[in-house]
Parts: sequence; structure tokens; C-alpha cells
Amino acid sequence: MTNIIEALSVNKKVKLGKDNELHILKNINLEIEEGEFVSVMGPSGSGKSTLLYNVSGMDRITSGSVKFKGREIGGLKEEELAKIRLKNMGFIFQDINLLKNLSLIDNVMFPALVSKDADKKAVHQKAKKLLEMTGIEMLADHNITQASGGQLQRVGICRALINNPDIIFGDEPTGALDSKSTKEIMSILAEINKKGTTVMIVTHDVKVAAKTERVLYMVDGNIVAQKKMRKYNGHPDDIKEKEESIMKWLAENGF
Amino acid sequence: MFLKIVKNDFYRKKITTVTVFVFITMAVLLGASATNIVANLIQSMSELQERAVPADITVMHAGEYDQAEIDQFAEKYRDHIVMQETMDLQNIDGSNIHFGQNQTMAGTIQDISFVVQNKKFDFILDLDNEKLEVKEGKVAVPIYFMEQYDLKIGETITVKSGGYEKEFVISDYARDFEMNSSLTSSKRFVINQNDYDEMLEMQAGELEYLIEFKLNENGDSQAVQAAYIKAGLPANGPIVGGTIFLLFNAMSDATVVMVIILISILLIIIASLCIRLTFLATIDEDLREIGVMKAIGISKKDIKNVYLNKYRVMSVAAGIIGYLLSFVLVNLFNGNMRLYISSELSGNLKYLLSFIAPLFVYFMIVMYSKKILKRIDKISAVEALRSDIMEHGKNRKYSFPLLKNKFFSINIYMGLRDVWKRFKLYRLLFFIFAVCTFIVILPLNMYNTVNSAGFSTYMGIGKSDMRIDLRRTDSITEDNKKLQEELKNDSDIEKYAAYITSSYQVKNADGSWDYINIEIGDFSVFPLKYLEGRAPEGEGEISLSFANAAKHGLNKKVGDEVTVRVGGEEQILSVTGIYQDITNGGKTAKAHTSLGVNEEAVLWYIVSMDLAPGVNIREKMDYYQNAYDSAQVNDIKEYTGQTLGNIINQMSLIVIGGIAIAVIIAVLITALFLKMLLSKDMPRIAIMRSMGLTSKNIKHQYMAGTLLVLILGIIFGVLATNYLGEFLVSIAMSTMGAAKIELVNIAWQTWLLCPLALIVVVGYTISVCCKVTEDDDLSVTFRS
Ligand SMILES: Nc1ncnc2c1ncn2[C@@H]1O[C@H](COP(=O)(O)OP(=O)(O)OP(=O)(O)O)[C@@H](O)[C@H]1O
Ligand SMILES: [Mg+2]
Repeated sequence: MTNIIEALSVNKKVKLGKDNELHILKNINLEIEEGEFVSVMGPSGSGKSTLLYNVSGMDRITSGSVKFKGREIGGLKEEELAKIRLKNMGFIFQDINLLKNLSLIDNVMFPALVSKDADKKAVHQKAKKLLEMTGIEMLADHNITQASGGQLQRVGICRALINNPDIIFGDEPTGALDSKSTKEIMSILAEINKKGTTVMIVTHDVKVAAKTERVLYMVDGNIVAQKKMRKYNGHPDDIKEKEESIMKWLAENGF
Repeated sequence: MFLKIVKNDFYRKKITTVTVFVFITMAVLLGASATNIVANLIQSMSELQERAVPADITVMHAGEYDQAEIDQFAEKYRDHIVMQETMDLQNIDGSNIHFGQNQTMAGTIQDISFVVQNKKFDFILDLDNEKLEVKEGKVAVPIYFMEQYDLKIGETITVKSGGYEKEFVISDYARDFEMNSSLTSSKRFVINQNDYDEMLEMQAGELEYLIEFKLNENGDSQAVQAAYIKAGLPANGPIVGGTIFLLFNAMSDATVVMVIILISILLIIIASLCIRLTFLATIDEDLREIGVMKAIGISKKDIKNVYLNKYRVMSVAAGIIGYLLSFVLVNLFNGNMRLYISSELSGNLKYLLSFIAPLFVYFMIVMYSKKILKRIDKISAVEALRSDIMEHGKNRKYSFPLLKNKFFSINIYMGLRDVWKRFKLYRLLFFIFAVCTFIVILPLNMYNTVNSAGFSTYMGIGKSDMRIDLRRTDSITEDNKKLQEELKNDSDIEKYAAYITSSYQVKNADGSWDYINIEIGDFSVFPLKYLEGRAPEGEGEISLSFANAAKHGLNKKVGDEVTVRVGGEEQILSVTGIYQDITNGGKTAKAHTSLGVNEEAVLWYIVSMDLAPGVNIREKMDYYQNAYDSAQVNDIKEYTGQTLGNIINQMSLIVIGGIAIAVIIAVLITALFLKMLLSKDMPRIAIMRSMGLTSKNIKHQYMAGTLLVLILGIIFGVLATNYLGEFLVSIAMSTMGAAKIELVNIAWQTWLLCPLALIVVVGYTISVCCKVTEDDDLSVTFRS
């Protein structure tokens, strides 16, 4: 198996005022295999989001190295990074971050239309199919003010998928949703993962983590523990069992 | 504590604050300068009037008269008349006055006369406003000519006429209350009595008289004028009341004042819009704080005061700086006044009067800020904490879906549709661009209008290539005959028409008799554009100038009747039309030839002509100028140019000033707007970047949007100039006798050059200011 992401002794520091620095990520080493479904947990302020944004090239690492599909992205130009984000990565957020003034389907299509040689018809078909897959095709032409949070997050996922990315990053994508929507979103993500797309999400929710196959546990800028599990097979009993084992594992690590 | 908040706010929004501050300062600066000029004008005009003691009634007369009769008249009306004096003028044609190296004053359209200083009143002054005392062999030259021909004290002019030839040394400028302005068509040169007598003896010039009356404080000018005419006293030239000179003297400076005040008001509006924009852009940022402040029980009034104090402090500081600087700036505008009205502008009134400007600006700014801050009332504590309330739009129909786009790249399309979706935001910029276009194109069109051959329409003359003026001389009738004969046989002349203007008596609205200058001839050859009706074509028809037809004139409409006395006989004429004329105080009339010339009171002959194609107008002009000594030969453009000389010069200054101001405003506001828009849109930009758009892509979106607004603004501005501008100019010009000005717009300038210049300058500003930061961590925006 090849690694889609390889992070080696990654440090992230941010300046706070003149000679005050905050060391957020401390010598992080992380490998994510292609097709893996990874979740990151840890107390608030431990650096989970920072880890996600730094290994995805959204933020710039202070030192170390991050390789995406074998290619060093630490020192890439803005334009190159944007290209990678456009073609190979998809992002979903807790705040969803759809564009106002665009209808839901236009939000989904937009990243695909950015390429000069975009085939509009094909893009439209693809967007419709994605909306159908996530069960919100009837909302296609609606405004973003006319949909619920769960529905909007599905649009967010569709948008992340429109360019057939290799990996999807999610910073607490279910953080603002109720448990029903959370379940639905997680099934969609599991579905996508099953088709081969790597997924990495940050979460506080054990139920969410239980549907992934590896959980990273972060404390104070370090990955202090990892737990590998079997892939989720869709069975309710299987989930229950995993949830309990993760809880136990977290407790062992002082959560 | 308040000062501290203001200081903090300043550091937070440095550029915006500085820009608003600059605009307020400039508004005060210009406003104070304008009021300063007004103050100077009032004080120096009254001083000039005091020294020059201008006549209240001036009657022009050429030919015989009996001074004893006039003395009797003055005696009879002692209740009104304080003093009477008759000034003798010797009219010398410009071509007979030589100066410099073989130059003459032939080109001028002014009537030149040589006079001796009056004894009692209507004094002609030097630059210190002292009564001129000219020594033998010396001459004092009117300021107008000193400027026009760039003459210096100590240089000489030579008068050659018939057998007479004499060189005069220029000893002074002549500041002439009555005839300073280029709008008055005569100018008086002052010489010594002995030189004058010699000139008279040699018959160097044509004699003319100014029969002048000085009235006492309660003297009724209208009544005396009417009585004078009734008494049948000599008056074959126009009779002029004193106030017209006051108006002429003040005109050019008053125009400047009006323009400056206009610009100043514009700046206040722009400053207010900037404040509004600042507030709109920061309200989202500050919403939370305002909500928290409300929640912990700070009163609305106190919250508003925090914001308001910033603008209070700014307005006060800008007011003081602008007020002080205005005393420096005003010297730029004072040149004309120093020369023509008073060399020493030392009055105190200006210090007081120009203080109005900072006070006015302060109240405008504070009031407007208060109005904007009313929005704070609407923010309830709870709502404020729930962000985004300002953004929630109504459920409008979805327009401009992405797939509808056929022509543009997606980024351009996103930028364009953003203007539509958030027009409320872009509207300010749109307005600014429209205004900038307006203040470039309106003065430019005005300049082109005044400078165009077609402007003759507003001077009561039809459009022709060339015109010959014959002024009153003893030989005027013969000259005219000879000229007609010659023109008839000149194959270079395509067509011509002769017009004779003479003075007639006309019955006023109240039944009294007044004088009116009526031009007779065939008006179909060089048709004039009529405001209403048409030119007189047959017997018993007359047309009136706008000012003559107006309420305060004869008060006539098309179809009304006018009673005119010709050679002792009364004729009733019907008004066929009303036209515009800004010459001769705006009061003229035209009638069919059948009215007959009033032989004793012929004022001038004019022959208008068009040349055959290919004929050199210069050569033709030179030929007729040489053939007819006493004639003035002008091409029409030159004629309008000279009459409106000062105005045209000032117009070109205003055009340049307008362009400079427009460019500065457009650049500053664009830069400011983009900065605020981009900071307001930081989340939006971050979302797009996270999707994989480069900062260049995003930059293109904003550039497309702003450029669209620019183009829309320019189009709107040009249209506004064409309609609103024409309306405004017409209002201003109607005081001069033109009621409806049609602005000339030279298409390539209006539609191409100006817009293109603005697009280039603003486009460059946009491309420089549209900076989407590349290297920041993207997640920073998502976290906040
Ligand atoms: N740009 C920044 N400037 C200053 N401090 C930062 C910045 N980015 C992150 N931090 C700090 O670094 C620490 C880690 O932040 P991060 O968002 O990664 O935590 P997290 O684990 O995602 O927390 P949460 O569960 O609350 O989302 C926090 O204390 C945060 O305040
Ligand atoms: Mg986080």
C-alpha cells in the first residue's frame, strides 16, 4: 500500500506579538495510506485542526516535510497548492462554508467549472448524480437559506467530491449537526471511502470516530496514541462494540 | 477615554480614516476659499466703487448735442441727480494703434476710445485705486489690453490715423469700473488733456459722448432714464444703468466661486459616503461588540458617542487645517481680482466669513454620521450576537445561474454577477464613478460649447464663416454701400447678408417709452435657432431676445404685440419668435427690413457671410480688413472667443481642475473601496481558495466586478451630463440671456477619450489594489 500523505517531524509555530511564539504542532510524524479512513480526536486546543490544515497544505508548516502522493508540498507555490486542492483534495467544514448568492447546485458545480476545459454538460450531470446520491436532488435549485444544516453539509460533501479528489479532509463536519444528520453524513462518508477515496476527519464524537478505521489521539500538539480498527461493516452491533473500545482506549490515554 | 477609543479606531482603520479626513479637509479648504473670495469680492468691489464713483446712468451718443439742454435737465431733476458730466471720447480703430514690433490692435472686437480723466465722477483708476493723472506723452492702458497684448509699463504705443501720428509711453494700467470687463464692448485709454486736444485738432478719431449722471441715494434711475428719453435729449446709443457694471465686474470671480462651492459640496458628499462605507464594512466586525455593550447595559447613546466622537474629532481637526490653509490657497484664485478690482485684498471680512465653511462641514458630517448610526438602534442585543443578520436577503428568484454563462470565463462571470447580487454594496462606487465622469465631461462639454462655431446661436447671430462689423463713423453709410457692392461681385463669397442695428423707442409694459436696439435684415440667409417661434419674415414682424421677452423686460410672448416708434411714427409689430442672446446685456431684437432704419440712431452694420469652398478665410479676412479701415473683420469663432475670452480661459482651468479632481477622487475611492470590500469578503475569499481557486482567479473576479461598475458609472455619468448637465448650465446661463443651452459634445472626447482615460487610470488602480493575500495560513479565516 502507498501512502497518500507522509508527514515527517512537522512543526507549526505561530507568532503572537513581537517575541511571543506558540508552538502548536510538535514534531509530528504521520502516514496515511491511500483509501484509509482516519479520524483525529483530542481535547480542545490540542492542535487537531492545525494538524489537518498543515498536512493538507492549506496552512504552511514551520519546519519538517509533508509529502502528498509522494510529492513534497511544504515549499510549493500558492498556485501549485491551489491546483492540488482543486484536483486532488476536497474540504468539508463544521460551518459548511458554502458561497452565498449561489444556488445549491451551483455551489457544487463551481469548483469543476474553474478548469478552463470544463465540460459544462458533464459537470451538470455529475453534480446532479452527487445530489441524488446524497438524497437532496430536489433542493438543487434552492438558495442556501432554504435548506437545513444537514442538507447543507451534504451539499458541502458534493462540492468536495465534484472533481473526484483522492482525499477528503473534514474539520468536525458533523460538529454542528444533530445525531440523525450526523449518522447520515457519516454513512455518506463511509460510502465514499468504500469507493476508494481517502478520508481524514477531526471529531469530538466517539460515534463518528467509531465509523473510521484509525483514530489518532492528540494532546498538546503531539499524537500520543493511535488505534487501528477493522473497517466499518455497516452492522449496528459492530458500531456499539467499537464505540465502547474507543471510549476505553481514550480513558486509558487520560481523556 | 473617548480619545483613546478614537485613537485605537484610527490605528485599526488607518487608510480609511486618513482618506475621510483628507476629503473633509479639502471640502473645508475649498469652501473656506470660496467664502474668502466672496468676502474679498464684496469688500474690494465696494472700495473700488467708492474710489471710482461710477455713474448711475450712462447715455452713449454720437453726433451733435447741446450741453445746455442737458444742464437744464439736470437742474430740473435735482431731486434725483447730484452731478452730471459729459465725457468726450475719441474712437480710434484698433488697426490704428501700433505696439511692439509691427503689431496693431486690429484683431480686437472692443471699441477703443481715448479720453481725459473726468472731473467730478466716473474716475478711471490706477492699480492702487488712485485717480489716474496722466502726464503729456503718456497713456494709461486698460487692464484688458495690458493682459491681451502682454504690454508693460514703460513700453510704447503709437496712434496713427490719417495725418495724425503720436507715440505714447505707457505709464499706468487703467482700472475702469465701467468698462473693465471683456463683456463690456468698449475700453477707455486715458491721456493728458493737451494730447487729447491735439488729437481732436487732427481729427484722429470719431467723436462720441458719454452723458453721465450721478444720482443721490434715493434717486430713481428708471424714472430719470424715462424722463430723459421723454425730454428728447440726445441718445442714439444705449442707455446703461449702473448695476450692470457691478454685475460684469463680479461675473468672472463669481463664476469661480460657484464652481469651487460646487466641488466643495461634492467633497462633503463623498466624505459622507466614505463614512457610510466604513461603517457598512465594519459593522459586521463591530456587531458583536455592539451587542455585548448593549447586553451589559451601556446605553445606545453612549455607544453611538463612541463612534460619533471619532468623526467629531476628525471634523474639528480637518476644519482647523482647512480653514488655515484656505488663506494660502485663495491666492491662486485671486489673480484676476487683484488686477481688475483691487490690488490689496486686506479686508477683515474674510476671516469671519470663511469660518462659515468649517462650521457648515462639521455640522453636515456629524449630522450624517448620526443618521447612519441610527442603525445601531435596530440591533438588538440578541440579534447582534447572532451574526449574519445583515446578509439575509429575501427569497428572490435565482438569477444568473452558472450554466447560463456562455461568454465569460467563470471568474469574470462570478465577478459580474456579484455586482448584480450585491448592488447595494457597489452602488457607492457606481455613484462615485458617475460623478467623476460628470465633473470631467460637463466642463469639457461647456468648454467645447463656448468654443464652437455653433455658440454664435447664443449670441443672437446665425452660423456663418465670417462677419464684418462697421461701427459708427461719418462714412458708415457709404462704406456699407461700397461693401455690399463688392461682396455681390466677389465670387469667393458664397452668400452674405447685411444687418443694420439702430436704436428705436419701444413702449414698455407700463406704457412708458424705453430704448431698444433692433437689427433689421434678411434673417433667412443665416438662420438662427429659435427658442420659440421663428424669425421675422414679413412686414410688421419682430423677434425678441430671451431677456427682452422676459418678465422683467417687455414681458411678451410669441403672438403678442410690440409698439415701436420709428421716425416719430408708431408701428405695431407682432412677435414671431424668441431667441437667445448673451451679447449687449442680453437685450436685442430683430425685425424685417420693412421696419425701416432709424437713420439718426444707427448703431452698427453687420455683414455675415459664408465663403465658397476652398477659400482661405485668413486671406479673405485680411483683404476686407485692409479695404475697409473702420471695419472689424472676424471669423465667428474668433468673435465668440474674444467676447467670452475670460470665461473661456477660466473654463479651460476648470476643465483641467475637473479632470484632476475626478482622477484623484476615482483613484482614492476605488482603492479604499477595494480594500474594504476585500477585507469584508475575507471569509468568501478563503472558501474559494480552499476549493482550489488561486488568488489570481479571485483577483480576476473582483477586477471584473469593479470594472463593470466603472463602465456602468461612466455610461450613467455621460448620460447625466447630457441631460442634467444641460439643465444646470441653462439655469446658470439664463441670467445672462440664454435660456436653453445645448451642450456640444464632441463624440470622440465624450464617449471615447474621457471614458478611456478614466478606465485606464481606475483600471490600473484596481489591478494594483485588488490584492488577495497569498501566503497567509488559510485556516486563520475559518477559525475566526
Ligand atoms: N493562527 C493562530 N494564531 C494563534 N493561535 C493559534 C492559531 N492557530 C491555532 N492557534 C492556537 O493553537 C491551539 C490549537 O488550535 P487548534 O484549532 O488546532 O485546536 P483544536 O484541537 O482544533 O481545538 P478545537 O477542538 O477547539 O477545535 C489553540 O490553542 C489555538 O488557540
Ligand atoms: Mg478545531
